[in-house]
Amino acid sequence: MSDLDKRLLAAHAQGDAAALVTLYREAADQTNDAQAQGFYLTHAHVFALEIGHPDTATLRQRLIDQGREAPLHPPNPPLR
Amino acid sequence: MDHTPTDLSAVRRPIAQANGLPNAHYIDAGVFEEERNAVLFDNWAGLAVAADVPEVGDAVPITFLGMPLLVVRDKDANVRVFQNTCRHRGMILVDEPRKIEGAIRCPYHSWCYATDGRLVSTPHVGGPGQNTHESMDRALLGLIEIRSHIWMDVIYINISGTAAPFEDANADLISRWVEFDKPLHHGGADSRFELTVNCNWKLAVENYCESYHLPWVHPGLNSYSRLEDHYHVEAPDKYAGQGTLVYRQLKDEVGHSFPDFDALTDKWDTAAEYITVFPNVLLGVHRDHTFAIVLVPQGPEQTVEHIHLYYARPDTDAGLRARNTQQWKEVFGEDVFVVEGMQRGRHGVNFDGGRFSPAMDGPTHLFHAWVAGQLESHRSQSKAAE
Repeated sequence: MSDLDKRLLAAHAQGDAAALVTLYREAADQTNDAQAQGFYLTHAHVFALEIGHPDTATLRQRLIDQGREAPLHPPNPPLR
Repeated sequence: MDHTPTDLSAVRRPIAQANGLPNAHYIDAGVFEEERNAVLFDNWAGLAVAADVPEVGDAVPITFLGMPLLVVRDKDANVRVFQNTCRHRGMILVDEPRKIEGAIRCPYHSWCYATDGRLVSTPHVGGPGQNTHESMDRALLGLIEIRSHIWMDVIYINISGTAAPFEDANADLISRWVEFDKPLHHGGADSRFELTVNCNWKLAVENYCESYHLPWVHPGLNSYSRLEDHYHVEAPDKYAGQGTLVYRQLKDEVGHSFPDFDALTDKWDTAAEYITVFPNVLLGVHRDHTFAIVLVPQGPEQTVEHIHLYYARPDTDAGLRARNTQQWKEVFGEDVFVVEGMQRGRHGVNFDGGRFSPAMDGPTHLFHAWVAGQLESHRSQSKAAE
């Protein structure tokens, strides 16, 4: 198991979403396999979304540029 | 509906000849379900208060009549109510009150929703690393939002989506209390409490609506508030309650009282009113504080009363607030044996719904008649649809 894998598992075990954003992005940047990169970027983006991470939009754009994600649609007003 | 409809003909008679709702409306699971749809889902039912989600991102799951709901304050500070159910495989999204920092992530497959309900991520939905799919239109798969409205800080919901707009359905009451249409400041943790009572939710309404019981059940109030100092509040098919002409402000040892709401007319110097917003919200207004009681039915024979106290200013004295909370705890606590006793009484199979004092029980009868009207209307619609 690589050091990155160990750190990912530890971050999952601790529920540390900020660390998961960092580590999944690191994993994406380390691989030359396009499908693996999409997988890791997806996870980085999801955990970024969850915690309102400042890099959420950047991660989403990377996925959009790869044809793996869609832009956000506008919100609806509250249902009154 | 898989049970024989109850006979409601006696309930909507003039008060002098009327009987109350039959026993089944308090103890029968089938009738409870019928009322759930006809009375609580088809109207604007109280669910919670906006003070439950004071900050952006606050999320509180509530099971209301079996429905898993989620109250959220979205990023634009709007209070919204959603079904707390993922649109993917129906997983419960939020299990306990918490702050949503960014998006609501389903713990199952990590579909993510914005606090405004938009579906913003569907990871791997098109295969590994492919997060879109042509058959998954996110615009149609946001959280299912429940129609909501906030008045006097109470969050009202209309689950069926068929009720008239809240402002229309409650126009008369809103107008009656327009002087209190101003910022209400929740007193905070010391100004909220709950009572779990072993009774059908309607009995709490019925008891709240009338002043007849005050000298017997609340003798402490009676020392300064005689029966003849109270009046009925009766708006047939709209709302019901009671008022007092001798409200006295609470004071501490050195004579301090709460600040008044601004610009009240003289009437409120000594008046206070206690009104039920049909079906399940009990409100009280006084010159210096208001309260809201949201009745959340747990089943035919149990109800949780969520009680919240509000003031005219955000910085009221903590000691005085504690006294006021304690005073209302005692008053509402004194009512518990009554509503629980009436509940037990409804297991007497020969009880006929009881009679009403034509002089004293008008507001209570008015509530019974309204419930019966809602049920009859629902039954006729169901029949027409068959």
